[in-house]
Amino acid sequence: MPNMIEIKNLEKSFGDNQVLKNITEVVKKGQVICVIGPSGSGKSTFLRCLNVLEQPSAGQIIFEGQDLTNISEIELNKLRERMGMVFQSFNLFPNMNVIDNVKLAPLKVKKTMEKEAIQKAGQLLEQVGLADKAEQFPLSLSGGQQQRVAIARALAMNPEVMLFDEPTSALDPEMVGEVLKVMQDLAESGMTMIVVTHEMGFAKKVADQIWFMDEGYIQEKGTPSEFFANPKTSRAKEFLSKIL
Amino acid sequence: MKSKKIWIALVILIMMLLVPLGKVSASNDGYLQKVKDKGTLVVGTSADYPPYEFTVKQSGKTSYVGLDIEIAKKFAKDLGVKLEIKNMNFDSLLVALETHKVDAVISGMNPTPERQKSVDFSNVYYRGQQYMLINKKDAALYKNIHSFKNKTIGAQTGSLQYDLVKKQMKNNQVKGLAKLNDLVIALESGKVNAVAMEEATAKAFAQNNSSLKVINPEFNVNSSQTGSAMAFPKGATSLVKAADKTIAEIQKKNLINKQYIPLAGKYMTNNSKKNSMWNYWTYFAKGIEYTLIITVVSVFFGFILGVILALLRLSKNKLGKAVAVAYIEFVRGTPLMVQVMFVYFGVGAVIQSLPALLAGIIAVSLNSAAYVAEVIRSGIESIPTGQTEAARSLGLSQSLTYRYVVIPQALKNIWPALGNEFITLIKESSIVSIIGVGDLMYQMQLVQSATYKGVIPIFITMVIYFVMTFGLSKVLGYFEGRMKHA
Repeated sequence: MPNMIEIKNLEKSFGDNQVLKNITEVVKKGQVICVIGPSGSGKSTFLRCLNVLEQPSAGQIIFEGQDLTNISEIELNKLRERMGMVFQSFNLFPNMNVIDNVKLAPLKVKKTMEKEAIQKAGQLLEQVGLADKAEQFPLSLSGGQQQRVAIARALAMNPEVMLFDEPTSALDPEMVGEVLKVMQDLAESGMTMIVVTHEMGFAKKVADQIWFMDEGYIQEKGTPSEFFANPKTSRAKEFLSKIL
Repeated sequence: MKSKKIWIALVILIMMLLVPLGKVSASNDGYLQKVKDKGTLVVGTSADYPPYEFTVKQSGKTSYVGLDIEIAKKFAKDLGVKLEIKNMNFDSLLVALETHKVDAVISGMNPTPERQKSVDFSNVYYRGQQYMLINKKDAALYKNIHSFKNKTIGAQTGSLQYDLVKKQMKNNQVKGLAKLNDLVIALESGKVNAVAMEEATAKAFAQNNSSLKVINPEFNVNSSQTGSAMAFPKGATSLVKAADKTIAEIQKKNLINKQYIPLAGKYMTNNSKKNSMWNYWTYFAKGIEYTLIITVVSVFFGFILGVILALLRLSKNKLGKAVAVAYIEFVRGTPLMVQVMFVYFGVGAVIQSLPALLAGIIAVSLNSAAYVAEVIRSGIESIPTGQTEAARSLGLSQSLTYRYVVIPQALKNIWPALGNEFITLIKESSIVSIIGVGDLMYQMQLVQSATYKGVIPIFITMVIYFVMTFGLSKVLGYFEGRMKHA
């Protein structure tokens, strides 16, 4: 499998606080990676560095051969089109209805024809099970529904990789399942995914690799069966003993 | 570092504003020729001083009348040019002369030594005594300046009478107001015990108001300080000579006493006969029209400039940011009244043809922009960063993000604050009346001088302002409600 994202010596500090300390990893095409670890370990910052929502302090992010840390704003916008992102707090645009949320970027960035954009948005809403909510405004939907719209919105740009930043952490428990189901379908369709999550069940079932982060490092990685059955580092053992 | 940049930008801004001042008086004497070339003599006056100058309504139009106006007419005729009267506050007259807004000033003005330092005067054309107006019921109490102790005496700001009261009635307080009408209201309502004014004027007021009485308080006046003369820019000798010629002729024929004063008296009696407010509705209508024009145009340009300033302030460009911050702080830190006067007299000194209305609109727009910019900035900053991040993660550029995501949401949030600014402007625009723009406030003063009624025009004006602002707030509320549905 070819490399999708190469992370080389990535570091990130906020003032004196070094959050990420020298991370070097590779994500291959079609892989589903779940990033787990205790709060404050740097998981979200790591994910946000991948599409340069946070500018890394040092190191490189190489996405399909191009270094994202050292390109113009215009080129960066181009590359972001190919990396979808889903946020913990959905971040739907409350001033537009559901279908306008989904078709905004294809219309304004890709200059897709209106008709084509509507058709594609309709398909995606169908795929996440919300075809009947197209005309509603985001704030009238439940959290789970909003997050599924956010996934459809990200998919509307036909991304090559999807980044999920704790997509179910802000949801009521009974809504977690519907979102994870959509994500599992997506993984099975072959999408490359990097998921920061606390849903261990999902990680076990769907991930190709688990990356365990603590104190700004990726301390340990492996397949779910290896990692959950037999963690190597004491930190991973301690973490798993707390949550399982 | 940051605050240093702001200071530098502020200093540059101030210097830019001051540059025009350097050019104010750049002329040797081509004054007379200039007036003849343009074919119009522009004369400044403060038309609230009957019988010298005041307004009457003739077939629906406001015209300026009085003995000074007759002299100005004669002067213009002798020069073979048309006469244009500019009405403004007495305080502003000399500034208008110095900044060449007007060619001459005729406003019952005494040629005092202080004034002679900044302008040149013609010969005195009329000499009246310095009188006082008191309430009739106090007639037994006040005979002359020595009967006043610990009283409050009113006088027009910047006038000879003001100085006289200040210097010769030291045991009393002076209350200075810009308009004689306001002083007379103050007298009637007991805010002041007497108003010092020129003989002819005092007599005119007493004639039209039976509760007032005239006394001669016997001020110690030397003759150079009494009479009235025309004022011209310093060094305009050609105009002064021409004026002296006209004045000599007027005095030879005794035109002032034979023609001008009787004519003024006729106008005054006419005025007081038909001083019901209904006769003056066109004044108020005109005032509403001007106030709305000023407000709407200023809101429009203030908003556009405000958006630009807000975006500059939020931008990463450090110079742009510093300029925006300096502008906003400077404009918010100075009174609108000063800004209006600065634009009219300061900037107007360079662009001489700058009309008062335009100057007013410019000043109000520039002022409003600073406030609008802050409202817009707060609106943009109220949008959660998650919205921007979501848009950027989809590949939207910064400008697309602003256009489709941030601005629409921000506008909805700041709509009430913007509406508030609009309503404030309707009221604040009343300040442009000081440079003689015919807005509602200014028309109110005209009606006051024309009718000798002080309080009723104020009340009517107040009601009109309220109807305008209340109506507007209802309209804005309707749109706010509609935006909520979206």
